[in-house]
Amino acid sequence: MVLIARKDLRLSAGKLAVQCAHAATSCALAANKSEKRLLERWKNSGARKICLQVEDLPSLQRLAGQAQSANLITHIVKDAGHTEIPPGTITVLGIGPGPRRSIDALVQDLKPY
Amino acid sequence: MRKSPCYERSAMGLRSFIHSLTAPPFRHRNTVDQEVKMVLVVNNNLKMGKGKIAAQAGHAAVSSTLKCGKEAPDILESWLASGQKKICVKGNDADHLLQLEKLASDKGILCTKIHDAGHTQIPSGSLTVLALGPDGESLLSSITGELKLL
Repeated sequence: MVLIARKDLRLSAGKLAVQCAHAATSCALAANKSEKRLLERWKNSGARKICLQVEDLPSLQRLAGQAQSANLITHIVKDAGHTEIPPGTITVLGIGPGPRRSIDALVQDLKPY
Repeated sequence: MRKSPCYERSAMGLRSFIHSLTAPPFRHRNTVDQEVKMVLVVNNNLKMGKGKIAAQAGHAAVSSTLKCGKEAPDILESWLASGQKKICVKGNDADHLLQLEKLASDKGILCTKIHDAGHTQIPSGSLTVLALGPDGESLLSSITGELKLL
């Protein structure tokens, strides 16, 4: 699973962690419905997660589109905006759990956050 | 201890009345009538990078969600319906996290500890994050209310 966060928002560590946790739970719950076996395999191999960064919103949305057309599980987190940022801001994109190769193909150029 | 109204008490046998006073609370209550949230306590002693903290928080959130789905599905539902509220706070070190875990599990709160595999940044097996809940807000803040936001 990869969690892709927007660097331009300059979130604090705690905010970032919470947003990524949102993305991770939503993706896992989606997988729990549609691809149970995949979820089990992912959990048994240590529930691997990586947090990566993108520069801005358009590149996040581009990645989301690519991931959806590759039939990967995706989830976009919109913040409720109680703190730090305006409501409805898109903060994190979660992709996966999915096969390593197809996820790597999408995100290999991104830097770790 | 919850007070039962008089009429209910008179309808109840003496034994069950005494039982209702002395029985331990349900280990996993199935519903909560207040705001439900999840608290992630991060081990601040480890000096992890932001991305690392985020991934560890993700681990904690996912495994406590899946656990809660098995043990208290109604709590999970109300948590999901109210927007999956999560907050992230600082814990001093691993011992502090373990203390909090003990306090919380005594109150029947669902606890999840995350130990890192140690592929990056920190030694393998370190306790990185403790997740409490999802559970009622006031119950959680009795344990983590003092802690600072991360």
